[in-house]
This record gives sequence, C-alpha cells and structure tokens, in this order.
Amino acid sequence: MTIITNVFGTEFALKRPITLDLESPTLREVLAALQRHHEGPWRRILKEDLSLREGCVVLVNGRNIASLEKYETQIHDGDEITFTVLVAGG
Amino acid sequence: MKGICGKLLEIDLTSGKTKTLPVKKELYEKYLGGRGLGIRLLYDMLPPKTDPLSPENLLFFLTGPLTGTYVTGSSKFVVVTKSPLTQGWCDSYSSGRISVEVKKAGYDGLVIRGRSNHPCYLRIDNKGVEIRDARLLWGKDSFETERMLKEMEKDSTVGVSSIGPAGEKLVKFACINSDLYRQAGRGGVGAVMGSKNLKAIVVKGDKSVETFDRKAIVDLNRQNYQLALKSPVAQARMKYGTPLTLNVTHVGGILPTMNFRFGTWEKALEKIDSIGVYKSLKRHKACLSCFIHCSLVTEVSEGKYKGISLEGPEYETLGIFGSNQLIDCLPVIMQANILCDKLGIDTISAGNIIAFVMECFEKELISSKQTEGLEIRFGDADASLAAVERMAMRQGFGDLLAEGVKAVANYVGNDSERFAMHVKGLEFPAYEPRGAFGSGLSYAVSPRGACHRRAWPPAKEILGGYPPYTIEGKAAMIKELYDENCVLHSLLVCDMPAKFVPMSLDVYSQYLHAASGESVSKEDFLKIAERIETLIRMFNNREGFTRKDDTLPYRTLNEPLPDGPAKGQFIGEENLNKMIDEYYALRGWDASGIPTEETLKRHQL
Repeated sequence: MTIITNVFGTEFALKRPITLDLESPTLREVLAALQRHHEGPWRRILKEDLSLREGCVVLVNGRNIASLEKYETQIHDGDEITFTVLVAGG
Repeated sequence: MKGICGKLLEIDLTSGKTKTLPVKKELYEKYLGGRGLGIRLLYDMLPPKTDPLSPENLLFFLTGPLTGTYVTGSSKFVVVTKSPLTQGWCDSYSSGRISVEVKKAGYDGLVIRGRSNHPCYLRIDNKGVEIRDARLLWGKDSFETERMLKEMEKDSTVGVSSIGPAGEKLVKFACINSDLYRQAGRGGVGAVMGSKNLKAIVVKGDKSVETFDRKAIVDLNRQNYQLALKSPVAQARMKYGTPLTLNVTHVGGILPTMNFRFGTWEKALEKIDSIGVYKSLKRHKACLSCFIHCSLVTEVSEGKYKGISLEGPEYETLGIFGSNQLIDCLPVIMQANILCDKLGIDTISAGNIIAFVMECFEKELISSKQTEGLEIRFGDADASLAAVERMAMRQGFGDLLAEGVKAVANYVGNDSERFAMHVKGLEFPAYEPRGAFGSGLSYAVSPRGACHRRAWPPAKEILGGYPPYTIEGKAAMIKELYDENCVLHSLLVCDMPAKFVPMSLDVYSQYLHAASGESVSKEDFLKIAERIETLIRMFNNREGFTRKDDTLPYRTLNEPLPDGPAKGQFIGEENLNKMIDEYYALRGWDASGIPTEETLKRHQL
C-alpha cells in the first residue's frame, strides 16, 4: 500500500508517497514501519515507543487521530498522513 | 503597583484642551489593563448610541501592566472604540513601538475625543502634548506619513501610528498603521481616527518603566527563551511564521476558498503556503521585546512585481486574498498587502469584500456597468488590486465597497446576504467554520463580530482531540479559549509566545508579579476575564445588540462543504442555537444573552 505523507515543522515535506509492505495496518503499525524502514524526520516527531514528541500532532486525512481511534486508526491505501507541529493564528 | 503609570492622557480635539485622567489602582486590579481597562472606561465614558464617526465617540490607545517592561511579546497596544462597521464594541490590537513610548512618556494610554477643525497630529513626550497641523500630511499614505514624521523628529525610534487615505475617507474598515507593517486592523478604528481629523500620533518617552523586580523578568525571559530553542513548535514558527498555518488549514479542510465555498485548495501548495512564502524570504524580524522572531520580511525577486518588499504576508492575507479569491500568485498577494497597508485598510475585510463581489459577478448579480467597467472575477489578480485601490479611495463603485460586505449585500439583494461572510458586519477571518464547529460558535458570539483573536478553535478541533463536526463540549471549549485570550489581551502580551513556547497563565502570573509586585494567580486571572467578557456583553446589549446578532451566514449554517475532510458538513441553526444556549449559561447570561443579576453581583458589576 502507499500512503501520502506531509511533514510540517522545521523540516518540511509535502505529499511524499511512501510504499509500505503492510496490509490493512493500524496507524501504530504504519508509524513503526516508517520509523524502522523509511528515511524521514520520524525521530524528531516520534519517541522510541512511537508516542508523539511534545508539540507534534498526527492527522489522518485531515482528522486528528485524537478524535479518531488514535493509534488503532485503520489506515488504507492512499490515505494522507500529516505530521505537524502545533500552529496558531495568523 | 509598579509597571503602570496610573493615568491616561486625555485629548479633546474640539477644544484643543488636554488633561491627565487618573486611573485608580483598583481598576487595574479588577480589569488588568488593555482590553479589560478599555471596556470599563468605554462603558463608563461613552454615552449609549453614540454615532461612531461623530466627535462624541472616544478613541482609546491602551497599554497593559507589562508594556515597556521587557516581558517578551509585550510591545503591544489595543485601540478601543465603538466600531463604525458593526456599531458595537471594538478592540483592535497591534504591535508597535508607540506602546512602549506611551508608557515611557508617563501614561498607560491615551483617550481622544472631539474633532479637530482641520487635519492634525499629536506629538507627545514627557513634557506634554502638542496638537500640530497635519495639512501637509493629509492625503499621504501611511508609509510616507510615518517617514515624514520620523524625518521631522530627526529620530527613527519615535513611536508613530497613522492612518492612510482610507481612514481620512472614513472607509468603514480603515486601520491604524504602526511601524509601517503593523496594523490595528479590524473594526474600522482608522475611520474613527479619521473622523476626528487625526492623521497621526507621535510619541517619544524618556523615562524607563519602573518594575518591581527587573532581574526576575530577565531570568524568566532567559528561561522561556531556552524553552523556545528546544520547542519544535516555536522553532517552526520562527522559521516559517504564520504562513505555516495555511498548510494546516488546507489539510484540515478549513482553508477559505472561493468566498468560503470550499475548504481546500491544492493550487495554494508551494505557491502561497509556507514553502511559497519562504522562497521569498529576505530575513526574519521580531517585534520589540520579543524573542519569537515570527515576522518574515519578504521580497519579490523577478517578474512584474520585482523588488516589492514587505513584512508579511501573514496567514490571514494569504487565505483571504489568495485561496478565497482563487489567486495563487504570491507577488500579487504581496502587492495587495502593501496597498492595504499603505492606503490603510484591513486586509481581512478588504479581501472578503472582493471575494463576495467575485461571486456576485459569477452569479450575474452585478455587471461591469455598475463597476465602471471593472470585471471582478475569481482568479483575476489585476481586478482584485484595482478593487483594493477603489475601495480605499472610495472611487466609483469602491464607495459602496468601503461600507463593508453587509452593505454591499444589501445593495445587491437577490439573497446575496446568504454568502456575505460576516458576523455583526465584521467580515470572516480565514477559518472555515463548517470544518470546525467551535469556530462557528466563536464567530457568532464574538462581541466585535467574526473574530479570530478571541479564540483559536482549530487548536482544539483540528490540532487537538475535539471532534470537529460535533457540538458537544464546544461551548465550554470556546469559553475556556476566550477567557485565556482575554487575560493575554488585557495584560497586552502577544499570544504567540504563550502558544508556542508555550507559556501558561501561571508563567504570566510570575511575569506580572515581577513587573508590578502584585500577586495574581491563574484562577484570579480567569475570574477577571469572566468579568471583562460580561461587561463587554453589557456594552453591546446597551447598544442594542440581541441574541439575534449572535448568528452565522446562511452558507455556514446550511450549505454542505463540498470538499475536504469536512465534506458534507454544515453547522445548522439548531446546532448553533444549542451551542449558544450552553455558552450563555456558562457565562451566567439568560437565554437572551443578558447577564443575570446574580452574575452581575458575582462579577461586582
């Protein structure tokens, strides 16, 4: 499956596709795979236990995982996963 | 109590007389300063139903107890008045050197009444105030005005606030400019200043602001700076500034697009988002006394607008002039920003009005016969820029645009008010409420109209755990956000260090103690905020506002969002009413939005 990733922080990546060798994974499984096998700023966003570093947030298709199933949120082919720092105002 | 001067400077432009207005310590204890002090004074001093553009309206420039004390983010002031756009309460915030200079000159703020019989400007220092002739400045844009005044003073460090031609012409959303690129933008405060024939204010103070424990302030700043260096949030803000918000609002489906018809716009990406703006970055800049240098000074390096440079554009301008008008050319948005700043109009109101007119053209509700041949359509950069000039100068059709989107919709008729995106006459900021229902409540109940400063609900609904398309818990969420920001805006500190370091109200309690010697806990702060918000409600009630005015446009309530994560969502009248009912109850107001006797007693009002 392929997910589309965005990273919004001091490092920035827009719509980067990543192919994962996973079938019907949860977000937890996706994050583990990203951390283990794929280049990217994952260490700055995720701790060893996959919890988010302070000030970082994960959105799946624009929805915060905190208002979905959190790490058990099901991820599907083509889903857009955004890792962003908190922002405010403007 | 240190950190305050205990007095305002009152200037009567009709009589030419000035005097000192003492402010009792008790008022600072009950209202802090800034917004809080502003509402107390406006409520007490302004007769009900005063015409906002009459000499009788009052124009306050207020500081807070932390202004001039080197607390990070404290170089801010608020302009408080009755708004000519909404006919209600108006608090309009700005950074600016003038905030510190007013304090150094020995005042916590200024109150201006009356009307000069010719254009004038105020020149204030520790010796006193002069009302000087401004006929040579009248008609000049804000940038030129500031440049000329600083040259006359032979001092580039004076604090200057001025209006552009739009304020002189009483454009209902005219702003007040400071330090070139800082505006007290919303609500038409520039028109109030223009109605008094007041072109500018120049302040130079020479006294330090006395504090209780300066070392403690410096130590707190150092500690918080170290936190900022380690904070990915603060670091990202310092690198990208507010344009980073556009990437988040697009992904979250709340980026206003095509006059708030849609919530996402792929074409914005890498063009008018954080990446697009960063490509034009010349340097970063901080406000006076702030270590979060979140301002970006940008410059266009090629093409038609080569060489133009400004501090900005900020997220609001990118959203409202960019995606909301389907303009994906950053140099055009930068040019629009510069024009708005120079001519002195609020980019949020201006951009909204233009987007509304674009939709009217699309729906054939207006033709170029009514606009002197100017066709204003979505995506047309030249037309958008031409519209900015016309509305700022009240030329031709621009004279109607200068009245605000509510007035334009009244003229157009044909149910166009359904997509005139305003609350109480104040045009929407750049967050689509159908994608975050709490934003809808926040806009609806905001006393100054649709406002993004009172609360920032996307922090909870897009970036936090609140489900965005439900109403449960949203009233309490908005009240909490309102009260926290009320404290910050009454202390008159910028929200950004608070949100990005982050710095909690407990930290500001420490700052306030260090500055003033006063002990105010977080709980005390929040009680004061409740008092302030209820008094503001009383002001608006007295001016004739009712629950009917706490509402949202038809589009937000009834039209499903066609795209993005919030596809299919709309708020609905019933949902809005439920949220409002809850919000009023939490505030201690009855079902009509009138504070109860018990609430008045609790707040000592």
